[in-house]
Amino acid sequence: MRQLHIIACVKVVPKPEEVKVNPENWTIERDGVRSEINPPDMNVLEMALALKEQHGGKVTVVAMGPPMFDSYLRLALAMGADEAYLLSDRSFAGADTLATSYALAQGIRKIGEFDLILCGEESSDGATAQVPPGIAEWLNTSQITYAEDLKIVPDSGMVKAQRELAGGYEVIQVPLPCTASVKVGANEPRFMDIERKTWANAEGPVTTWNAQDIEVDPEMIGIPGSPTIVDGVAQAEATERKREFLKGTPEEQVKALIERLRPYL
Amino acid sequence: MSQPTDSVLLKDETWERVDKATGGAAAPCFQCGVCTAICPLGLVKGETISIRKIVRQAQLGLPGWADGLWECTTCLWCESRCPHEVDITKAILGLRQLAWKEREVPEGLPTLLWDIYFDGNSWGRPPSERPLWAKDKAIKEFSPSDEILLYVGDDAAYDRRIQKVAHALVALLEAAGVTFGTLGEREPHCGDAVRSLGHEEYVAEIIESNAQLFQEAGVKTMVTVSPHCYDMFANRYPHFSDDFRPLHYSLYLLELINGERLKFEKELPLKVTYHDPCYLSRRNGICDEPRQVLESIPGLQLVEMERSRDDTLCCGGGGGRMWMETAAGERFSDLRVKEAAETGAEVVVTCCPHCITCLEDSLSQVGKSKLRVMDLAEVAHLALQS
Repeated sequence: MRQLHIIACVKVVPKPEEVKVNPENWTIERDGVRSEINPPDMNVLEMALALKEQHGGKVTVVAMGPPMFDSYLRLALAMGADEAYLLSDRSFAGADTLATSYALAQGIRKIGEFDLILCGEESSDGATAQVPPGIAEWLNTSQITYAEDLKIVPDSGMVKAQRELAGGYEVIQVPLPCTASVKVGANEPRFMDIERKTWANAEGPVTTWNAQDIEVDPEMIGIPGSPTIVDGVAQAEATERKREFLKGTPEEQVKALIERLRPYL
Repeated sequence: MSQPTDSVLLKDETWERVDKATGGAAAPCFQCGVCTAICPLGLVKGETISIRKIVRQAQLGLPGWADGLWECTTCLWCESRCPHEVDITKAILGLRQLAWKEREVPEGLPTLLWDIYFDGNSWGRPPSERPLWAKDKAIKEFSPSDEILLYVGDDAAYDRRIQKVAHALVALLEAAGVTFGTLGEREPHCGDAVRSLGHEEYVAEIIESNAQLFQEAGVKTMVTVSPHCYDMFANRYPHFSDDFRPLHYSLYLLELINGERLKFEKELPLKVTYHDPCYLSRRNGICDEPRQVLESIPGLQLVEMERSRDDTLCCGGGGGRMWMETAAGERFSDLRVKEAAETGAEVVVTCCPHCITCLEDSLSQVGKSKLRVMDLAEVAHLALQS
């Protein structure tokens, strides 16, 4: 039997305090800002690596973005992923979630057979949560969103996940291959292995594919493939807090706090 | 003769694995158990960390060897009494390194290392917020012509309580006419959190990159707020130039006092006791200098706790314990504030951000309401103002 193959989709996002929007085209400026791996994508990597430890197989990382993503993909390799593919082409720029999910799906198609595609629930910059369901549709897989926990059901060709709902959770089981989006905080991402990082930086298998490599329809990527129109972006003003400090013993402080909260209960 | 069913055959590779990870530090241990008997955890938990058991279990490859490994505060008490001079801290940190490899690490610690990796500090805060502690002060960027680089450190940069310590220290430096600057946003994490959690490979990377930064910035005399940063720079960093001189600020204040650049002329009628931070006293032999700073303040009365100087009791925050929860009732600092109160002192003075945090936390729990916790810099600043 073929070994379990997990695709982990990763995005590199600006650190929250660095987010700036280009006022001309309303896209997020990524040049020269401090970045990180999208937080739920870190949970994706941990989930994929833990499943690999349990069942064996391989973890392949996929990302669509500019060349600067390369060093972050090597971090994923340092955490334990086996190989990484970066889909990078100027023609991908300006993609909305439809064009992004199409390009990622084309990249995954080219990688070959897979069992499970894991994506973060949403990116911390765009926050649409539309890419994982998009990939599932393009590749015609089953799909699960907002998974907090995910298990391969042995010898059944099925995957079972606990997914968060408002006020509770549900457990669902769907057939493989499956695309699942993973909740931020679903687990604690392991720290990278420094020896592996040295290897990943020197000779880690990171392959860059352009638009031609993944055989995309030029009309379906980047700005031409993006029906979304961003009409404007406004900054929400932060609410000024009262910054009151309660005094006294811990017991007195708790009493005082309850009195403050009581009118709102 | 048949083997008992629960016997374990020591494998060469498990032995070698421990020997390599600990740099051979555990090898001289002849299992006498002094470390286990005197570990101060017995004072608060009733049960100490059985160092010798941890080492033996790890050598045998027995499951559960990492249990207890993370309770150690690296206070050095055991090491100071070990009859065979085993470098127990090195053994503990080496075993922690092994625990990282085998993913036997308490929850929260991987996140801490990611915070340091992505943000350059143990608070997970943006580097752009690093200089905000001094936003009301005109503190300039360090230049090589300055007398000292003030290395602020993560706690004094981001923790509102410890920011006050940095403010007091800045006032003292200004009063003494010292020319100084900081590295502002560029100031890196010193590596103490990573080292004390045993991630030797990652801390080596941090040290290499920071040493280069300090060298390029032209750093010579570097004054730190925290004894933990001082210990890193003094003992773990390469001395990249003959002029590189890392100092904890208590040492530098004493230099200023002895050089008559800093004088306390007014009376400060205050009865204080001094809590020695482990990373100054046992680890670096610095017991007299902070006391001499206190004694140079007219009117101030210094009384000692029974456990002091080399025999100090750890606050509980070393060895990475600041990033792990210690259950109420199991905190050294609970004992320590009681001991401080028993001296009749109004103030327990210390000079370590971890100690300040732990002691103040315990004070709010134990309820010794007459006692206050102050940093040495705060007391000295008060003396200057009084």
